[in-house]
Amino acid sequence: MLYVLKRIGVSLLLVWVVATIVFLAIRLVPGNPAEILLSQGGVAPPPGAVAQLRAQLGLNQPLGVQYVEDMRRLLMGNLGTSMQDQSPVADEILRRLPRTLELIVAAAILSVLVGLPSGLLAAIWRGGMFDRVASWLAAVALAVPVFVVGTLMIEIFALGLHWAPAGGYVSFARHPLRHLALLAMPATTIAVGLAAILFRMTRASVLDVSMRDYIRTARAKGVAPRRILARHVLRNALMPIVTVLALNLGSLLGGTVLVEYVFNWPGLSGLLVSAVNARDYPEVQGVVLVISVLFVALNLAVDLLYAVLDPRVRQG
Amino acid sequence: MFSLSRREWLIGAAVLPTLAQTARAAAPDTLRFGLSSYPPSLQPWANTGTAALTVKTLLHRGLLMFDTSGQVAGALATKWARDGNTGWHFTLGDAVFHNGAPVTSADVKWSLEQIMAPTSTAYLRGQFEVIASIETPDAKTVRIVTKQPIVTLPLMLATPFAPIIARDSLNAVGGIGAGPYTLTSHEQGVSLSFAAFPKFYQPGHPKLKHIHMPVYADENARVAALQSGDVDMIEYVPWQSMTSIEKNPKLHLSAVDGPYMALAFNGGTGPFKDERLRQAVAHAIRRQDIVAAAFYGRGTVLEGLPITKTSPFYDPKYAHGWNYDPKLAKKLMAEAGVPNGFNCTLLSTAQYGMHLATAQVVQQHLGEIGIKVKLDLPDWATRVAMGNRGQYEFCVQGQTADNNDPDGLSAYIDGTLPPDNSRSYHLPTPEIHKLLVEGRAEFDPAKRRAIYDELQRVAIKVVPLASLCWREQGYAMKKNVRGFTNMPGGLNFYSGYSLENVYFA
Repeated sequence: MLYVLKRIGVSLLLVWVVATIVFLAIRLVPGNPAEILLSQGGVAPPPGAVAQLRAQLGLNQPLGVQYVEDMRRLLMGNLGTSMQDQSPVADEILRRLPRTLELIVAAAILSVLVGLPSGLLAAIWRGGMFDRVASWLAAVALAVPVFVVGTLMIEIFALGLHWAPAGGYVSFARHPLRHLALLAMPATTIAVGLAAILFRMTRASVLDVSMRDYIRTARAKGVAPRRILARHVLRNALMPIVTVLALNLGSLLGGTVLVEYVFNWPGLSGLLVSAVNARDYPEVQGVVLVISVLFVALNLAVDLLYAVLDPRVRQG
Repeated sequence: MFSLSRREWLIGAAVLPTLAQTARAAAPDTLRFGLSSYPPSLQPWANTGTAALTVKTLLHRGLLMFDTSGQVAGALATKWARDGNTGWHFTLGDAVFHNGAPVTSADVKWSLEQIMAPTSTAYLRGQFEVIASIETPDAKTVRIVTKQPIVTLPLMLATPFAPIIARDSLNAVGGIGAGPYTLTSHEQGVSLSFAAFPKFYQPGHPKLKHIHMPVYADENARVAALQSGDVDMIEYVPWQSMTSIEKNPKLHLSAVDGPYMALAFNGGTGPFKDERLRQAVAHAIRRQDIVAAAFYGRGTVLEGLPITKTSPFYDPKYAHGWNYDPKLAKKLMAEAGVPNGFNCTLLSTAQYGMHLATAQVVQQHLGEIGIKVKLDLPDWATRVAMGNRGQYEFCVQGQTADNNDPDGLSAYIDGTLPPDNSRSYHLPTPEIHKLLVEGRAEFDPAKRRAIYDELQRVAIKVVPLASLCWREQGYAMKKNVRGFTNMPGGLNFYSGYSLENVYFA
């Protein structure tokens, strides 16, 4: 119990540190939200209009006052309103987050379906033709940047074969078929790299566990090979694979920006980039904070899972 | 083991394209227009970018507008005329707002006063300072009295920055306007949908029942959406894609010279306080290289003030006043006391390829005459902030005049206006200011031409900005999309006005 409380405490501290760093970092970057908002079209507004908007946005307050106000607001669970259109930041994040999560989950499912069995087979047939071809394909998949994969997919499947739309988004509730058709390519694009990582991790981890003494003992005892693979090798090999998958999924929360741009998928990463460009402080803070909380929560979940799986972790 | 039979494969192959078609399905009375960004705000009088302007031309109308030939035309006002030297008289037609209420002179007065308010963030607030009062003798008549004679008032009122909104309706998204379309739904960051307003004042318009505007922020995604048939039309066609679109038999490209690129100078500090060095820079650049490098050949060399060739104020005498002449540039440097050149910093941005490529070409060409240029390339937001504070020696500008009248260049060449990002910093131009004021107050076309001739002559000498090139601004559409007009020069970003004429052949 103490272990769990300690982990939760550290996680909360981390979230506060992130909130503080983001607050300072975005304000240290040059660029004034009021000026940018009113400078559209290349023409700067009169200084009076900028001052007026700065006052409206609360940016004329001293930094310390802004910080205290921000933290107080965040503690109340209020992420503030966007400087661009005065809409609640939380609403926009709640609109975008499920889209990014959906993309990540779909990519994760695809990558697990491909990466795990292929890694396992490559380890079983180590040095064989399948292992060599799959390892080579995984190396290529890891080397090719995600926007190249995405662009190639658009060229082939949207412009060439006309099998899928080039990009865009409609909600599932509005048009389920259309939604799935639009999800297919971006999810596959992310899955390509992720599957390659899982393939390599599974292959290495399975090979590593296969060399352990307890596997040799099991073999010596005459345990059936399938049972050794399923109960002893795979189960023990899964720990690092789960860790890698969790870390990669966490990174994807804010890292799907290229895929979102290439496929015009209006997710959280795209929102973060446009918010930074507009110096929309509350929106940047809100998105980074939500991503951090999810990342920390994901890591906390993995830590707690470790503790469940391995009693030694619990005992410190 | 999971496996597919040949029949299942065949069914799958048949279903996939159907799925794609489902994703593309569109009613024949709906125009799907790929926007380049989601409007950050639909505040009716603010300038919040081109995409927002296009959307607002669907929702709103002002007293006047620009017709497809670029001329000022009536919109909510059916008649307008000068009333003495400082008065303008407008007669309203029978237009109604989207809430069904008639457009009255009180709505006009209220809207224009919102723009003029001291706390307003309207784009035209500064220019509207010339208005002394707005009178409403009856519900259908508006009289605008100005502090001094001003010939360009109709031009200001024809821009989409001066829409008339129903009184006290700002709580509705974008305010309640009287434009050809009403906003039916919008999903933040994703798309906006519009339905034709059945009581629009122009009979038979708009021609299409619906417009759907999905947002494609990435230019390649936008082009791919058009090529794959996901949308019928796109704005901001990237220059590198124009040729392939032209070659596509199913598509049509409409590209005209619209915005222009230029260099602005810091006249308060650094080498460019000296007009001879500004002239030297203006004469040292082979502008064709910028057109080639930054715009893939999609532009036109600009060696004088950005006045379009079709303008009655275009004067070939001054159109090439800053021609490429490195010998003259060297001579000017020698006269300024720096015959062997000097070091300076050029502010641009790495965020937009055209700004970066323009800066690189300028750097290379100035290097050829001994001016060693260091590039400062922050992101766009920082670039804007540095521009507003004059934290540069010279900088790359991408701009559009407010209209095709020379007065539309005021914001960019009048150095007596307060310093800001859009023009040279602390570069006093008293002669230019005087001529602009005279030109604005002169109603005789021949006299105006003479004033702007003189303005061009002075500008060539003073170099309030060094123009570089026009850049093509493109809209691309399927071949069966008709009725859209891509307006040239300073009117380019108002092309959304013609969406009310669009139909499918």
